[in-house]
Amino acid sequence: MCRSACVGLRAKGNNATADFLGMLHMTTTALPPPPTAPDAPAFLTPALDNWRGAIAAALVLSVIAIAALPAAAAFWTVGALVALVAATFVVNAFRRHYYGGLLVAPAIAMLFVMNIFPLLWSLGLSFFAYQSNRQTMKFVGLHNYIQALTSDIKAPENWANLQTTAVFVVCTVAAQMLVGFLLALLFAKQFPLRRYLLILVLTPMMLSVVAVGVFYTYYYDPTFGLVSQVVNRMCGCQYVLMSNRAGAIGGIVFADAWMWSPFVMLLVLAGLVSVPKYLYEAASIDRVSSWRSFWTITFPYIRGLLMLALLFRTIEAFKLADLVILLTKGGNGTMTISYHVLRIAQEQNKTSEGAALSYLLLFVVIVLTNLYLYVANRRSQEA
Amino acid sequence: MAATKITALALNGVSKSYGKVRALAGLSFEVAEGRFFALFGPSSVGKTTTLRAIAGLVQPDAGSIRIGGADVTHAPIKGRGVSMVFQSFALYPHLTVANNLAYPLVEEGVDKSEIAKRVKETADMLRLSHRLERKPSTLSGGEQQRVALGRSLIRRPKILLLDEPLTNLDAKLRHEMRAELKRLHRQFGMTIVYATPDELEALSMGEEIAVMRDGRVVQIGTPDELFDHPSDLYVAAKIGSPHMNTIQVKVGSDGNSLETPFGSVPAPRIIGGLSAGEALVLGVRPSDLRLAQGAAASLAPSVQQLEPLGDVTVVSLTASGQQLRIVLPEAQAIGMKTGDAVPIVIDPTKLHLFRGRDGLALSRQS
Repeated sequence: MCRSACVGLRAKGNNATADFLGMLHMTTTALPPPPTAPDAPAFLTPALDNWRGAIAAALVLSVIAIAALPAAAAFWTVGALVALVAATFVVNAFRRHYYGGLLVAPAIAMLFVMNIFPLLWSLGLSFFAYQSNRQTMKFVGLHNYIQALTSDIKAPENWANLQTTAVFVVCTVAAQMLVGFLLALLFAKQFPLRRYLLILVLTPMMLSVVAVGVFYTYYYDPTFGLVSQVVNRMCGCQYVLMSNRAGAIGGIVFADAWMWSPFVMLLVLAGLVSVPKYLYEAASIDRVSSWRSFWTITFPYIRGLLMLALLFRTIEAFKLADLVILLTKGGNGTMTISYHVLRIAQEQNKTSEGAALSYLLLFVVIVLTNLYLYVANRRSQEA
Repeated sequence: MAATKITALALNGVSKSYGKVRALAGLSFEVAEGRFFALFGPSSVGKTTTLRAIAGLVQPDAGSIRIGGADVTHAPIKGRGVSMVFQSFALYPHLTVANNLAYPLVEEGVDKSEIAKRVKETADMLRLSHRLERKPSTLSGGEQQRVALGRSLIRRPKILLLDEPLTNLDAKLRHEMRAELKRLHRQFGMTIVYATPDELEALSMGEEIAVMRDGRVVQIGTPDELFDHPSDLYVAAKIGSPHMNTIQVKVGSDGNSLETPFGSVPAPRIIGGLSAGEALVLGVRPSDLRLAQGAAASLAPSVQQLEPLGDVTVVSLTASGQQLRIVLPEAQAIGMKTGDAVPIVIDPTKLHLFRGRDGLALSRQS
C-alpha cells in the first residue's frame, strides 16, 4: 500500500544513497587500491560464495523436501535453504567488495522476514482452507475469494461493511482536510500565544489511539458522558449519541477527525510558510484581490501537500478499526471492513478467509490510489 | 531644478523604525514628473524601505508622502498608481510569462482582447515574445528581469519604483539593461525612482541622484553637481571612482595657506574665510592631479602600485606617509615602476575643502 505514497520519499532516498556511495567510493580510491577481487567460483565448486550453485542446489533440495518430508519438516528445510542462499550472497558481496550491498543487507533481511515473507505467506494461505486453531490445511483454490464475493451470507455482509468503510473514508477525510486546512490558514498568521496553541493543537496526533478512544468513550457515555449531560440539560430528554447509526458514525468520525486534523494542518502549514512573502507584496502592488492571490500564489504551493495529505489519510481511513473497536465494538452499523477482517481472522480463527478478504481490500485500495495518482499526475502535467 | 515641472512625488520628513532599528530618519525629497531619480547609498541605508513606503507596503511612523499632490501616506496601495520591480523579481512561479505579464490587468477588468494586445506589445518591446508560454524558473536571469519590468510597465504606472533591479544580473547583462532602462524611460516618460548601491548605475542613469546615509538624504543633485560640489566628505567618498584623495591639513597661521604633509600650499578662497589653525580635510580627485610636464612640480611622491585599466592607469603614490591616487592616460604611465618618483602638480582651483569636525564642505568664492 505504501508503494504509491512513498514515491517522493523514495526518490530522495535514492539521492542520499548515491551520495553516500559516492563518498564511500572516494575513500576507497583515496586508499591504496584494494587487492583484486578473486574471480567468481565455477558453478559446481562447493564454495561459500558460489551463490549460483547455492540457488540451484536449494531449488532442487526444496522440491525434494516438499515432496518427501512431512509439511513441518519441509517448511524448516526450505527456510534453512533460503538462509543458506542468503549467506552465500553475503559472503560473495564481502569477497568481491560490494560494500554498498553489504550495508543494506540487514535492512533487506529484516524487510524480507518481517514484511515480504508474511505477505506472501498470507497470500498463499488465502488459497487454502485453514483455521489457526485446527491442524488441517486443504488447498481450495479461489474458493475463499468466491465465497467472500458471492456467498449468500458472506457477500452481503462484506459489501455492507465496505459501504460503511466508504462512509467513514468520505466523512473522516473530508472533515480532516477541511479542519486541517483551516487550522493551517489560521496558524500561518502571527498572533499572540501562537507557539503554545500550536503545540496544543498538535497534541491529539501524538496521543495513543487507545487513549483517544478512552477519552471519547467517556465523552459519549450515555449516563455521565459530557455530550449526554449537556444535551439532556438542554432538551430535558434522554439523549444517547451512540444509540443510532448516524450518531455512532458521527461520534467515530469526530474522534478520528479530532485526532488526525493536526496531521493535515502540519502538511499544509509547511506549504503555506514556504510561500515567499515578496510574492504577496508583488500581488498587492499589482492590486490583486486576496481571493485571486490565494488561488494563483498560495494554492499552487500547497496543492501537492494537500494531495499527499489526502492520499495518506484516505489509505489510513480504509484501515479504520481501532476507534471502532474502542467506541462501538462494531455495533450500530459501524462495522468497518478492516474490523470485520480482524474478527474473522482473529476471533473466529478463520485465517485463510480473513487473508482472502484482506487481499480483496488491498486490491481495492491499490486500484483507488493508482486512480488517484493517475489523475493527480495528469493534472500536474497540465498545470 | 526646473521649477516649471510638476512634482510627481514628494516625501517630507518620513521616518520608520523596525523595533530599535531606525530605517528612515526624517527622509525628504521631491521628484519632478518624468524624471529618472536615483536613490544611491550602500546597503541597509534605507533605500528599500523608502521605496516600500512610497509603494504603500510600509506605513511610515512619521512624515508624509504625496503623489501627484495628493497625500497618500496612509492610503491603500491600490489608488497610488505606483508599480514596483523587486530585487528578487518576485515573479509568480506557477504562472507562465504571459500570465505573469497579464496579472496586474486581469483584476482591473480590462477585457481579454485588450489584455492579449497589451501582453503582446510588452513582450515585443522587451524581446520576450518567444518566451510567453514558459514558466519563469526556466528563464535566464536577464529574461526574468525583463518579465518583472514588463509586469510593472504593462499597466502604465505614473511612478515606477525599481529596487536594485540589476543587482542579481551578471556584469555584461547589467550593462545592457542600463541602456534598456534608459530607453524605456525615454519611451514612456514615466517617473522612475531607482534604488541602487552601485555608483556607476546611479551616475549613468539618474538624471537626479539622492545620496542617502543612515535613513536620510545627504545631498540631491545631478551627477555633475554631486561630482563637482559634494556637500560633505561622505558624498565625496561615495561619488567618483577611484575615490577622492583626502589629506588631513591645518590652516596656516596667516589664514591663507594650508599646511599639508608635503608642505604649505595656498588656500582656495573660501566664503567666510578660514581661521588660523583650524583642522580641515583637503580633497582632490585622482583625475584632477596631473603630471608636472615642464611646469614646477608641487610634490614628487613615489609610486607604490600601478593598476592598468586599459585606457587609463590608476597610480597609487605615497609621500610623507600620505597616500595619493592619480589617474593617468595609459600613454603617460608607460615605463613607470614601483619606487619611481613622479612629479605632480595640484591645481588649486580643483581642491575641495571639508571641515575636519563634521566633514561638511566649505563653499569656495567664485
